[in-house]
Amino acid sequence: MGPYHAIMVHFPVSLWMVASGIIVYRALSDGELARALDRVLVPLLVIGVATGIVAYVLGQLVWPPSTLQKTPLGRNHMLGATWTLSYWAAVLFLRWRAGERVWQGRLRRLVMVILGALGAGLLAITGTLGGHLHGAPAYLSEILRMLGWDVYTTFYVPTWVLAVLAIVIVAMPLLAKRASRGPPASTRAEAGQ
Amino acid sequence: MRRRSAATAGITGLFTAALLLSLGTHSTGVVRNDPGRNLWIPDELTMPLELRVAYNDQQIFFHYRWPAKRPHVYTDVLRYSGGRWQRQLQTPIGSDTEGLYEDRLAMMLDAGSVPEFQRYGGYITVGANMRDFTGSGADAAHRRKYLPATRKDPNDWYSIKDQATLDAQRRAGYFLDMWQWRANLSNPLERADDQNVAWYRLYDSGETLFFSNWDLDGQQPRWMFDPASGGSPALRLEDVTGGRATGDVPRVLREGEAVPFDPALEWREGDVLPGQVLRESPESRAEIRVQGMGRWAEGYWDVTLVRALDTGHPLEDKVLRDQGVYSVAFSVHRDARTSRWHYVSLPLQVGLGRPAADLVATRFEGAAPDWPGVEPHEVTLFYPGQVSWPHLTSARHAGSKYIAKGVPVKYRHKESQLARYGVEMEFDAAIRRQWWLSLVAGVALIVSFVWSISLLFRQPGE
Repeated sequence: MGPYHAIMVHFPVSLWMVASGIIVYRALSDGELARALDRVLVPLLVIGVATGIVAYVLGQLVWPPSTLQKTPLGRNHMLGATWTLSYWAAVLFLRWRAGERVWQGRLRRLVMVILGALGAGLLAITGTLGGHLHGAPAYLSEILRMLGWDVYTTFYVPTWVLAVLAIVIVAMPLLAKRASRGPPASTRAEAGQ
Repeated sequence: MRRRSAATAGITGLFTAALLLSLGTHSTGVVRNDPGRNLWIPDELTMPLELRVAYNDQQIFFHYRWPAKRPHVYTDVLRYSGGRWQRQLQTPIGSDTEGLYEDRLAMMLDAGSVPEFQRYGGYITVGANMRDFTGSGADAAHRRKYLPATRKDPNDWYSIKDQATLDAQRRAGYFLDMWQWRANLSNPLERADDQNVAWYRLYDSGETLFFSNWDLDGQQPRWMFDPASGGSPALRLEDVTGGRATGDVPRVLREGEAVPFDPALEWREGDVLPGQVLRESPESRAEIRVQGMGRWAEGYWDVTLVRALDTGHPLEDKVLRDQGVYSVAFSVHRDARTSRWHYVSLPLQVGLGRPAADLVATRFEGAAPDWPGVEPHEVTLFYPGQVSWPHLTSARHAGSKYIAKGVPVKYRHKESQLARYGVEMEFDAAIRRQWWLSLVAGVALIVSFVWSISLLFRQPGE
């Protein structure tokens, strides 16, 4: 399945990379082109996630699970792919659910820029790891090493960090629900536009 | 609205902090030493070895230089403690806490009869469930190196082929020459131990370079230093553990110089005698000479090994010729470690005057090479962990299909990568569990963050 996975990943990679660019561009611009690009964002993300799921499944079939999950590189690639797919599915949900309100106000735009940049970064890392597995390592892994992560070491966090993450995972929606029950106000006023 | 903005900023901050915390602490909390399971990871996973090779019409010279914080020149000592002589029976897991394991350098060498060695080096000699592997059991002490084709089932240490087949393999050259320099047990003789690997790690013919000083029946040493020679009849423990006794050259018992042990002497707590007595051997096992004795100075060992190109023992030593290309792989034991706690190299090719190799040996005339004129070659050695040939050739190894095709290890892996893989193999189950938990936690974090943001981005009242 290796060659088919390699073919298939072109679709989500290209679509999500374009989506990242659109998100950042739209966050920085209210121009006609930015608005026009934003209108195709949800379709792009839908196709990206759909093709991403197919690529992910094909990737799981390249090696038996016991082989893929035995090597640090295999584990890291699977981790990156799972997070990337989840991430972009979540971004799709946000853009679909919140609509154009995601561009209202500087803070929301900043959040979207962070989301777009992070998504592009995740995608680049996952693709790099795939290249390593395929026998074509890229220089990006050297940058990651300089940042403190050697891609030949399995990425996992210690148990106490898992506990902290669990608290954060629960705290974020609680905080959001509590804040969203607050009194309405003009988003335009918030944006200062 | 200010409340929503504050919440958005706060949640984004929490998410970012969680990411940074994960990045800052990743890959920690699992790998830790556990001597009870034979787990001990060195602080440094790689080390350099500088190599120079030269040859003349008769001999080949290998000059090695490697860093070592201090020399460890004693091993296997007998000590007087609690009113009786005692022998250390167990080898240490990792570094010996008293520093009582000798530094060693070994080189395996082949002339092309073991083609897998050229591609995968010493990995091919590591079978399943080897000595000192986790879970190998108390009966694993004899499970040492072997070549895969000496077994009916390469995964089964005990499925040794019949003697006639093993003999035929040896005549066909299916063995690896192995040179082993020992700071304690061979260097004082200005020799390296000459061994070979075939169905087992075997010694070349001839008398051993050392023999036991332990009298099993009497539970005491057999030999001691001669008090008449002006010195003490024994060493002191604090001297051998502190390395102060003789620096990089140990005080050793030699056959012909040592005198029979005298139990009537007034032995003191902390007296120490070497556990082995050294002797000269004129036969195949002593073919490798140390030029000028290996010396340690300013944090480095410098050792030069010399051997005849053709020793006249073709069933034990590989015959080397001008214009030949040969495969070699190295290992270094330092910091008072033994067994599998060593650093190893990937295989490299040495050409005797032939450029189609990783390293071209310099040809010279005369008795000894002019070392400053010989180009050095830096080799990276790495801690190999617990990676066996049966694992590498099994479906569990993603690269097994490349091994089946004969793709050399260096085409796919670097030394630092192999070191990390080796460590992770030792903690595979624990790392995989933690990795799964981290994967799920990451997905939950993403979902939680984006869902939270979407709640805040809704129109009030939605």
